[in-house]
Amino acid sequence: MKPFLHLNAQTVAQAVKSLVKFEGRARLNAGGTDLFGLLKDEFLPEYPEAIINLKSVAGLNYLKQSKGILRIGALAKLCDIAESPLIKERYGALAEAAHAVASPQLRNVATIGGNLCQDVRCCYYRYPRHLGGPISCARKGNGPCLAVRGDNRNHAIMEGRKCFAVCPSDTAVALAAFDARLVVVGPAGERRIAVRDFYHPLGNALERDEIVKEIEVPALAGRARQSFLKFTLRRPIDFAVVSVAALIVVENGVCCEARIALGAVAPGVIRATAAEEYLKGRAIDVESAAQAGELALAGARPLPKNAYKLEIVKTLVKRGVLGLPLETAGEGDAGGPCPHGNPERG
Amino acid sequence: MAATNKGKTAKPAKVVAFSVNGKAVELQIGSEPHQVESSHTLAHTLRETLGLVGTKITCDNGACGSCTVLIDGKAILSCMTLTVECQGKSVMTIEGLADPVSGRLDPLQQSFIDHTAFQCGFCTPGMIMSAKALLGENAAPTEDEVKEALSGNFCRCISHYHVVKAVLAAAPGGSE
Amino acid sequence: MAQEYRFIGKPTKRQDAAAIVTGGAQYLDDIKFHNLLHGKVLRSPHAHAYIVKIDKSRAEQLPGVEAVLTWEDVPDWIGGTPRVVRVLDRKVRYVGDAVALVAAKNAQIAKEALALIEVVYQILPAVFDLEEAMKPGAPQLYQELPGNIVTAGTPAFGRNCLTEVVMGDVEKGFGEADAVCEGTFGYENIANPIPPEPPGAVAHWEEPNRVTLWVSNQASYLDKIILFHLFGKKVEVRTHGAACGGSFGTKLMSWQVQSYATLLSKATGRPVKIIFTKEEHIAAFVLRPGSRMHARVGMKRDGTVTAVSGTWLVDTGYYSATTQAQVAVGCGEIQLMTRCDNWDLKTAIVCTNRNASGSVRGFGGQELKCSFIPVLCLAMEKLNIDPVEFIKKNYVKPGDGYFWRDGDWYTYRGIDYSDCMDQGARRFGWQEKWQGWLQPSAVDGPRRRGIGVGVHGNADIGEDSSEAYVRLHPDGSAMLFSCITEHGTGQRSNYVKMVAEVLQIPMERITVSPADSLVNPFEYGPFGSRGTYAIGSAAIKAAEDARRQLLEMVAPRLDAKAEDLETVDGMIFVRGKPEKSIKWGAMGYERTILGYGRFDPDFTLANCMTTFVEVEVDTETGKVELLHVVNATDAGQIIDPPGLEGQLNGCLGSSGIDSAIFEETVLDPISGHILNANMIDYKWRTFSELPPIDNVVLETPVASHRFKAIGVGEVATSPGPMAILMAVSNAVGVWLHEYPVTPERVLKALGKINANGKVNDSAKVNAKVNAKVNAKVNAKVNANAGSGGAA
Ligand SMILES: Cc1cc2nc3c(=O)[nH]c(=O)nc-3n(C[C@H](O)[C@H](O)[C@H](O)COP(=O)(O)OP(=O)(O)OC[C@H]3O[C@@H](n4cnc5c(N)ncnc54)[C@H](O)[C@@H]3O)c2cc1C
Ligand code: SF4
Ligand code: FES
Ligand code: FES
Repeated sequence: MKPFLHLNAQTVAQAVKSLVKFEGRARLNAGGTDLFGLLKDEFLPEYPEAIINLKSVAGLNYLKQSKGILRIGALAKLCDIAESPLIKERYGALAEAAHAVASPQLRNVATIGGNLCQDVRCCYYRYPRHLGGPISCARKGNGPCLAVRGDNRNHAIMEGRKCFAVCPSDTAVALAAFDARLVVVGPAGERRIAVRDFYHPLGNALERDEIVKEIEVPALAGRARQSFLKFTLRRPIDFAVVSVAALIVVENGVCCEARIALGAVAPGVIRATAAEEYLKGRAIDVESAAQAGELALAGARPLPKNAYKLEIVKTLVKRGVLGLPLETAGEGDAGGPCPHGNPERG
Repeated sequence: MAATNKGKTAKPAKVVAFSVNGKAVELQIGSEPHQVESSHTLAHTLRETLGLVGTKITCDNGACGSCTVLIDGKAILSCMTLTVECQGKSVMTIEGLADPVSGRLDPLQQSFIDHTAFQCGFCTPGMIMSAKALLGENAAPTEDEVKEALSGNFCRCISHYHVVKAVLAAAPGGSE
Repeated sequence: MAQEYRFIGKPTKRQDAAAIVTGGAQYLDDIKFHNLLHGKVLRSPHAHAYIVKIDKSRAEQLPGVEAVLTWEDVPDWIGGTPRVVRVLDRKVRYVGDAVALVAAKNAQIAKEALALIEVVYQILPAVFDLEEAMKPGAPQLYQELPGNIVTAGTPAFGRNCLTEVVMGDVEKGFGEADAVCEGTFGYENIANPIPPEPPGAVAHWEEPNRVTLWVSNQASYLDKIILFHLFGKKVEVRTHGAACGGSFGTKLMSWQVQSYATLLSKATGRPVKIIFTKEEHIAAFVLRPGSRMHARVGMKRDGTVTAVSGTWLVDTGYYSATTQAQVAVGCGEIQLMTRCDNWDLKTAIVCTNRNASGSVRGFGGQELKCSFIPVLCLAMEKLNIDPVEFIKKNYVKPGDGYFWRDGDWYTYRGIDYSDCMDQGARRFGWQEKWQGWLQPSAVDGPRRRGIGVGVHGNADIGEDSSEAYVRLHPDGSAMLFSCITEHGTGQRSNYVKMVAEVLQIPMERITVSPADSLVNPFEYGPFGSRGTYAIGSAAIKAAEDARRQLLEMVAPRLDAKAEDLETVDGMIFVRGKPEKSIKWGAMGYERTILGYGRFDPDFTLANCMTTFVEVEVDTETGKVELLHVVNATDAGQIIDPPGLEGQLNGCLGSSGIDSAIFEETVLDPISGHILNANMIDYKWRTFSELPPIDNVVLETPVASHRFKAIGVGEVATSPGPMAILMAVSNAVGVWLHEYPVTPERVLKALGKINANGKVNDSAKVNAKVNAKVNAKVNAKVNANAGSGGAA
């Protein structure tokens, strides 16, 4: 990697001060697992002057529950989130999403803050400098988007505008289902941003000197059946082609709360509100789940090479709502009547 | 590190001290040949500065696990770790597994030999380190747990089947 | 049945085992050099362009930079087949092509210097599709290759190098057929074997005309020969081979990186090391050739192939080094698997503006068959022929003949592999699972299983020449001189085993010379499938020669004839009378004995690998999961069981089976950038997705060398991809013809995505798909799969 100035921040305030001082020419380093890709491949027009280490900020890796809200420090590691009994018990979809990220070695250092703030994986955007790159594009502010006419198999089927790269974060999908908020600290103080509003087509909602300090995750009212399904070409070490987090609360045989979040289909995480509304008040069965899958596609406008994602969204939503695993067999609509009888697990 | 700079912007460090395979290492930070630069990865420092070339680099981008070493007992990727951020840590590499006095191999290493759990051998140091971290936390892993623990390690020759056997056989609490 | 030996066939420790597990094995980048400089390559951002101007002055001024070389600075060294590729040229022909070289005191400075080189390009139109490249008016890559057609045939295989298969009378053959099928199919995902260790070289130039190279290659002696010719036969070349971190055929030679290092060393007078990054490895090193075939086959009801005609087009990327050789071997291999009297198969190699294709495990035959077998399948489907029966009937039998790579006709004197295929089929449960063409073997809701089979074999187990020395020492030890690098097959240890068996001394008493071209005799290298038979023969003969000399020398001391003597563990005695023995030391302590062995090419034997696969397809997501693999082969005699097992398990990786499931190199259709030149986006199999593999290995003695063995490791990757295509097609009931079978392709085949990208109504589509699966199958298989229900 090209040299840079390396700074150890002792406090969040100090890190913010350093960001202010470097006026956009510094980058935060949490686990570094995304950052070093950028530094090694030098795919952005500017190389950072300084790297500000956040790991030296003590005590920012907490996981704690108070007053119905789970609070996760931005430096909490994905391995700890995936293994935490508290999270597994009440926020199972989040634990599964954290576990679905990258590989064991990477989860041992990767943080949730970094996972949420990571840059997109668009293959044009990330094309390395030393191979005859980098490639200019809209997200870099120096050219048109190449993915719209090129290879867009991994790009957005919804809400793309100027840039069609999808949000690569797995944890964001689960967090959006929980209506989680990011607590963001900047020179002007703290503010909160909902995870579902955090991403937009050309970047995220952070100002250049802001830091994510904490993630607040409100608990669901009832006991929800939770699932996080991530469809990839291989497992692990692969970014989602489509992912779905589904939280379903059933009381007296009918669904009283449904949260369905879609990942890797848009620049941000999509909440399938039409599907959620449809399910409320209905019994969860193969038909209603399949219908939710169809409704989840509302607003989809695929690019030439990614229409296959639609079918996968439908399937994952259906399986997620039914609480079936990704590699499921026989929930029944292709082979005749449902062989499992009762689709509701457990 | 002292908290005197509270409220100010963060400051760069001048030295970094950690241990490698039980031996203390102190390195100056700077751009002279004998120093480590702040941009050096641990993989680079191990190989180029400390001469510990047993740690291999395949992708240098976090995707393959060849450069796996242990930091405080956990398997991490040395190509995705800055040396300057290893302050106070305890690093263990493939060179640190055999008994330094008797030269006796670690049971994992012996088991890899006995099962011919390699072909070209380039992925092997990383495999053994991932397995070492697993056995440190779980003395009697199941086959699935072994596969999960090694799921971040690339092997293109497909020695996976032999590796799984070798790790299970080396597990102190295992039945083999 | 195989014979019992003391060492051969026993699992023994690899000689390099302890070094590998302790991190002590020295791969190229692990070797320390004094005064070393580091080299980097500036790479082209354009797929096709002239370099109008290069200004390197700023780069040269960067402190720590020792040399910057452009096409204007370097000698006119020209490589490739034919010789058209300059080491540095004023024209670039793919994104990533070399533009300039830098040597600096460390790699970081060299990299920074690259950014300071200013290049003005005149951009030329580029062409990425091979048939487009052949059209009149297409952009031309080389003046010397009009129409972008690469000269057919390689001088390495002689004047009559095989470039086509033409014999008999195809029209007559088609007339005799019960079915004639035709189609165009490709294996065009130009997969990349990606060995873990990247390509690299260290060169040390000594004036006036000598260079020593440290290489990380499969065939280090061959490097010496190739570089000698590249350097205009004016430079003395010495190569040191080290442990090689995987090759799979790709590091057969690396003349480009080796010549870059040589040029930089020549320019600086210091040793220079260049190690490619993984991204360079993927985007600027060897890919599989692209293969597209239009073929017509005639078949009889009994599976006899009456005629094959067609054209095999091979996309070699921006230049060819070994592609002609791959085409020659492929043309031979297609005859081995299709016993047919009437052929009219033509070939053409085409260059396009992408990274070059080259030598990869499966060498031509894998590429050809992946395109050809789908056509055979169409005919088999029409005639309702079980593919296992087909391959049994059609794989070469003793007494059959074929044209091999040098254009000559050979009569096969090996074994009949039908029994091996049967045993594999039995282990796999083929009979129970096979439901007919385009029928799933089991259905469970949206998940459908399918099975497939593929076959591959080649007669290059005895290709090219090898030489070896065996030196006996009076202390009862020996040394094998054979210019072999260890690239994962365990062959260095296997040759020791063979020598140990001949000399009857423990393996620990035998060392192998380092792979230094200065001290070793000629060696083509352990590539293709030649290791066991060709190289092994040379080692065995050298050991036999040394043993003979030893016994002749000491015979008078034992009052016996040399033929009556025996030697075991360094003792010599009259056969059957070990009581009276003398030590090897009897040769005299100021003496060694040197035996010599040589192998000359023999194309009359062939190996064979049959691979059976079962897949499960999720028809709602398009995902294909590999459930089970059975490889069936006959090795003649197993030399090292775990080593062989490893080689056969290798069928998954190195662009083998997985090149049909998820491996592919993705090229931007407009700009020609390789978009997945990293190990996240280029997919490879992990520990989490290991299917069970069963390897059925028979040992029917083959008339090869003393130990009746032949090599089978290389071919393990080859039958799998076609078997996958067959299995997925059977599972979903629709032909799939493109590699890899991505979710998108599966969903398209199922009619779930229509041409304009819209999703079709799922209820209707599912009903249609289901209708294809007849009720009988459904009932039967559901019972098999044990999921009660859906009949
Ligand atoms: C091989 C490989 C596979 C991967 N697979 C996956 C995957 O499957 N799913 C997935 O989601 N991700 C994946 N990733 C991406 C990445 O590793 C993870 O997202 C990881 O969680 C990032 O966390 P980190 O702490 O390492 O982030 P860093 O690299 O430290 O940071 C990422 C970015 O966020 C910024 N940042 C970090 N913390 C903060 C903060 N608190 N406030 C503001 N900005 C901040 C940094 O400046 C940087 O720009 C993969 C990466 C690799 C190399
Ligand atoms: S999708 Fe976005 S990141 Fe990718 S090329 Fe287009 S603008 Fe750039
Ligand atoms: S070399 Fe570090 S993960 Fe590949
Ligand atoms: S043994 Fe070669 S990559 Fe694993």
